[in-house]
Amino acid sequence: MADPARIKPEALSERITSCKEEHDKSDETEDGPSTSKTADENKDSSSQDQSNQDVKSEMAAGEDEEEGTSGESSSKRLKVEPEKKKKCQKVDEDEIQKMQVLVSSFSEEQLNRYEMYRRSAFPKAAIKRLIQSITGSSVSQNVVIAMSGISKVFAGEIVEEALDVCEKWGETPPLQPKHMREAVRRLKTRDQIPNTKFKKITFN
Amino acid sequence: MADEEDETGYDEEMDDGSGGVDCGHGKRKRLFSKELRCMMYGFGDDQNPYTESVDILEDLVIEFVTEMTHKAMSIGRQGRVQVEDIVFLIRKDPRKFARVKDLLTMNEELKRARKAFDEANYGS
Repeated sequence: MADPARIKPEALSERITSCKEEHDKSDETEDGPSTSKTADENKDSSSQDQSNQDVKSEMAAGEDEEEGTSGESSSKRLKVEPEKKKKCQKVDEDEIQKMQVLVSSFSEEQLNRYEMYRRSAFPKAAIKRLIQSITGSSVSQNVVIAMSGISKVFAGEIVEEALDVCEKWGETPPLQPKHMREAVRRLKTRDQIPNTKFKKITFN
Repeated sequence: MADEEDETGYDEEMDDGSGGVDCGHGKRKRLFSKELRCMMYGFGDDQNPYTESVDILEDLVIEFVTEMTHKAMSIGRQGRVQVEDIVFLIRKDPRKFARVKDLLTMNEELKRARKAFDEANYGS
């Protein structure tokens, strides 16, 4: 159920993130209940923003091409970058459209679940308190944002693995503790759970 | 042999986490119960997940945050946790790395947008 397109680390820093994320943030700051209609409206307005951003970055790309006539290798590199940016924007736009088509065809229950998936988050105050109780000194806002984001991904990985285990054992949700523990055991063998307490000694 | 050792250690850890030693753990008030329920539903579980599963997940998340914090304190600038340390620790995991980059980028954009909005208001 996790975002399928989020597994490309290369093009990250150059990619303009999709309006999907913008939509995510604006949802979190909205008060009151959000219906699917307002969600669609948000997407429409933010896709206009996206086209504005497209114009800006294309102009920047043009500037890069002018500067790039000095050295050969640097001009090659600069030519690749704006092309990559244009391609990445196009890919983002396609992705956004596909997401819109997908979400518009969700059933009621699926919409509920998707809304919970996007809106649920760890409370920043509690995470900040937790980190500060460990470090003993204060931490910046960005650290709290990063840590809560990673924790949500971590929780998602465990739940997904536990659902796999549950299905494999021929049982149905809701998830039971035994599924969770088996999921944790599997993730540990894949080294996805940090553990500095018990170290395995191969040869004794 | 080594596997067995690892597993018994792991089992003890799980048992302690849910209610023993860390009698402190068990007695401590549950920090994320409501949010974790919504999260589990969002990730695919039933609409009403079991309380024990939510407890296990909360313990795991707290342990994850604790481990990351300890690791971040030991690299880069000692004794402090900074964003660069977290990004460095996460670099091998593509999903988490992408998520952190996205979040930080969006945060910057929002700050810029808010600042521009405030200046526009102040100007008029």
